[in-house]
Amino acid sequence: MWHITKREIYDNLNSLRFALTTVLLLALMLTNAVVHLREHPKRVQKYSDAVARYENRLAAYANESLYLLAQQGPGDLHKKPSPLRFCAEGGDSFLSGTINAGDPFVYAEDMTGVWKLSYPSMTPNLENVRPDVIKVDWGFIIGYVLSLVAFLFTFDIIASERERGTLRLMLANSIPRYTVLIGKFLGALISVSIPFTLSILMNLLVISTASNLHLNAEAWERLGVIFFIAILYMSLFLALGVLVSARVRQSAVSLVVLLLVWVTLVIFMPNTLASMTGEFSPSMLSGEFWKRYRQFHQELDEKYGDRVWSDKSDTKTLTARSEYFAEHAALDERLNEDRLSLQIDQFQHARFITRVSPVTIVQHLLESFAGTGFERHLQFVENTQRYARQFREFVVDTDREDPKSLHLIGIREGMSLKPVSPEAVPKFKDTLSLSKDFNTRAMELLLLTLFVMVLLSGAYLAFVRVEV
Amino acid sequence: MLKTLIGRELLDNLMTFRFAAAVFITLLLVVANTVVLLKDYEQRLTAYTTAVQESHEELREEKTYSGYGGALIVHRPPNPLSIFNLGLDKQVGNKIEVYHAFVPTIWDAEKHGADNPFLNLFTSIDIVLVFQGVLSLLALIFAYDALAGERERGTLRLVLTHPIQRGYILFAKYISAMLCLLVPLLISLLLSIILLTTSTKVALNTDDFLRIGGIVLTSLLYVSLFYLIGLCISAITRRTSTALMLCMFVWGVLVLVYPNLILTAVEITPKPDAKISVYNQIKQTWEEFEREKKQFIRNDAVLSRPSRGGEDMDAGFGLEGVEYTFWKDEDKPSILLYFHQTGLYAGKIKAESEPQVPHVQNYYNFYNRETVNIVERTWLVRKPALEAIYVQPANLGRMLLRFSPVGLYDAATEAWAGTDLKGIQDFFSTVQRHRRAVVDYFYDKKIFESRQWFAADKGTVDWDTLPQFSFQRSDTGINAKRALPDMLLLLTMNVILFMVILLIFIKSEV
Repeated sequence: MWHITKREIYDNLNSLRFALTTVLLLALMLTNAVVHLREHPKRVQKYSDAVARYENRLAAYANESLYLLAQQGPGDLHKKPSPLRFCAEGGDSFLSGTINAGDPFVYAEDMTGVWKLSYPSMTPNLENVRPDVIKVDWGFIIGYVLSLVAFLFTFDIIASERERGTLRLMLANSIPRYTVLIGKFLGALISVSIPFTLSILMNLLVISTASNLHLNAEAWERLGVIFFIAILYMSLFLALGVLVSARVRQSAVSLVVLLLVWVTLVIFMPNTLASMTGEFSPSMLSGEFWKRYRQFHQELDEKYGDRVWSDKSDTKTLTARSEYFAEHAALDERLNEDRLSLQIDQFQHARFITRVSPVTIVQHLLESFAGTGFERHLQFVENTQRYARQFREFVVDTDREDPKSLHLIGIREGMSLKPVSPEAVPKFKDTLSLSKDFNTRAMELLLLTLFVMVLLSGAYLAFVRVEV
Repeated sequence: MLKTLIGRELLDNLMTFRFAAAVFITLLLVVANTVVLLKDYEQRLTAYTTAVQESHEELREEKTYSGYGGALIVHRPPNPLSIFNLGLDKQVGNKIEVYHAFVPTIWDAEKHGADNPFLNLFTSIDIVLVFQGVLSLLALIFAYDALAGERERGTLRLVLTHPIQRGYILFAKYISAMLCLLVPLLISLLLSIILLTTSTKVALNTDDFLRIGGIVLTSLLYVSLFYLIGLCISAITRRTSTALMLCMFVWGVLVLVYPNLILTAVEITPKPDAKISVYNQIKQTWEEFEREKKQFIRNDAVLSRPSRGGEDMDAGFGLEGVEYTFWKDEDKPSILLYFHQTGLYAGKIKAESEPQVPHVQNYYNFYNRETVNIVERTWLVRKPALEAIYVQPANLGRMLLRFSPVGLYDAATEAWAGTDLKGIQDFFSTVQRHRRAVVDYFYDKKIFESRQWFAADKGTVDWDTLPQFSFQRSDTGINAKRALPDMLLLLTMNVILFMVILLIFIKSEV
């Protein structure tokens, strides 16, 4: 078997396709690294500027009074850029990087409600009139280019030997067919892995030489997993190539079949299927949302009526006002959250269907291990929600410590007006954990492995039954 | 003789597996995507009609003229040809406010309708994209063994023993392959048009069919270019397997890698400081205006009385009967939008304030006219700055894409469909004209200085005589003019490549 593998590798190393693949992959990976070196410091700078602004704003309010903190809230919360963004860009330009926790409703010049969490409903990409393209990240290189390359290396793996008649010669020796098949498969796997590994190493070399980008041990761990996923994904396409090559008489026909499969599987299936399910599952029109919004607010206003706005400042009015403010903010938040979860459901639904295409699986996997993309966005949303609760609890607890306060949150007359030490105020920290990713992604990894197994055994069956 | 050659080639091509596979795949993808796109278009159209209806009603609820800000909204209808090439039709905003205090542009627009921002993570596949990927691949698959295969089999030598010119052979091969490639192209297009006509919501007129014709023509040029690329490779290489391999790499680079690589690699960002200075300039102009306004109120003997508002001189001018005062402003440095407007709403002005009313009217006359002037002045700096920030980088990006036939094809079909930047800008210039018409109407009818501007008690507002907004997509001639440069480039590349192949083929030994 080892002989077959070796022969296969030698054959490939001298071929035109090997040279072209090496050049192509190297060019792509180097561009990816250079672009990352150019863009990433800017992103980090932007993030740290934003965090500094957030902290300054928080400290300014904290130094003023607890009341202002309770009214204005923590402000814009920012998503931390992932250092592994070069692995998977994850459609970050379509996902908002900030969630606003502030922006209290202003009823009148001297009457302001309390802060709420609000998720941007608009695409941040609305201003963009540039031609839209797929960013060249590892996801693109692995998902699109590597799969194509895998097909180009395997389409003639058996068909051409049959055409030349060397297959008959080989099988005349006393080698079992599965040995031939596995030998050839391994040969192809190693010959594609060589340029791929080379280009990845070049990419990482360029990225790690930069002094301002520091990849820690965890990042390297993740990169290792990503490499493993890439190899698994590559074997999937190699196995498919071997399968078709074993079934088809002519190598040219085999390539035609493979290319058409590739175009359907990689380019069209993920997007068309997603759009299809996206169209057929419900979503909320923005007009509908505002209708609901107005209706609920009217109900709320009717419930409290004018007693909230009377000029008297007795405890009853103030309590009612405090409750009204809190309910108003909670209602806004709930409506926003409802819409968000509807959108997320619709998106998840569409994404679930696209899992039949391996390229989507691999891109999900890459995104979650690189800490970008939609899952990451959900984590970020979750983090902000947790932080919002924490912040509210902090305000209530601190207010409780002040004996002079009436404990009416959001009302000047009813709250502690003492300044708070800025250090004591909880700060928003955006985190993500690998273990959590792994749990959610284990299913997809298994699915990918299953695909490879099925295709390999399919290739074996096809090859065993074939007449030479 | 030529006929025989074409006939033979045609038969050769038609009877192959690749032809059957090609037709099948193209049909499948085009039909599946047309269904999706059609559904999407219908949804967008429904969202559009509801939004138009809502805006219409919303405007009629306003009792004073000054309330039209935020209520006079126009919507961009979805383009039915976006099914062929989506372009920017879905990406940019389609809901825009008409207001005298700013000039509406693409960047000020928002979106009505089902706006699930997450769904933008999926690429929308339009018919042109299917052709772009699949037909180019098919053209190469048809071409790779056209010459190399015959040479390998030795039939080329046989054919050349006949007294035929080599150019004829090449020409026959080209014609027959193009005929074969036309089959999937036309059948799938026909099917998608049939699907479109079954939908009651899509109304295609004669002009649209002309535009579709333009798209077909461009597709032909594009497919032919890829066939010639394949033929060229086939003429150079000795063996079919090498030709096939080279073809696939060329396809991968031209269609898949180059467009994505070049726009990732080249950084096209305008200078940020220029943007900031323009924004500051605009803001300054408005702040100056604010001071002028205060000065105007101070000069007015009635309005400036301290009892009538004090510090907040423009709040309500102490008019008895003012229900609320409002301000309407926008401050978006990223799109250089800044304006600030104040107003008041009076349901019923009480008799004791009546002498004050002419003064308030006079004030609004000054304020509104001056606002229009300020907007015109700031527009002079905002327009070129927006061009520099958004349009130029976009055009540069499209320019870079043109180095691949894919970019040319995309640009040309976008221009035919009217979903390119220029087509979208047509809509926004119509909106800008509409704003001008509304402002002129306000001037003519003396609405800026009327009592109805802020008070709802005497005389009702008449929204029905307001200039109506209507948008017509540009003429087919204009579409053609926009598409022509790219189509000519495609044609030139076709001709040059054909010449090159002819030269190579004539010189080559069999």
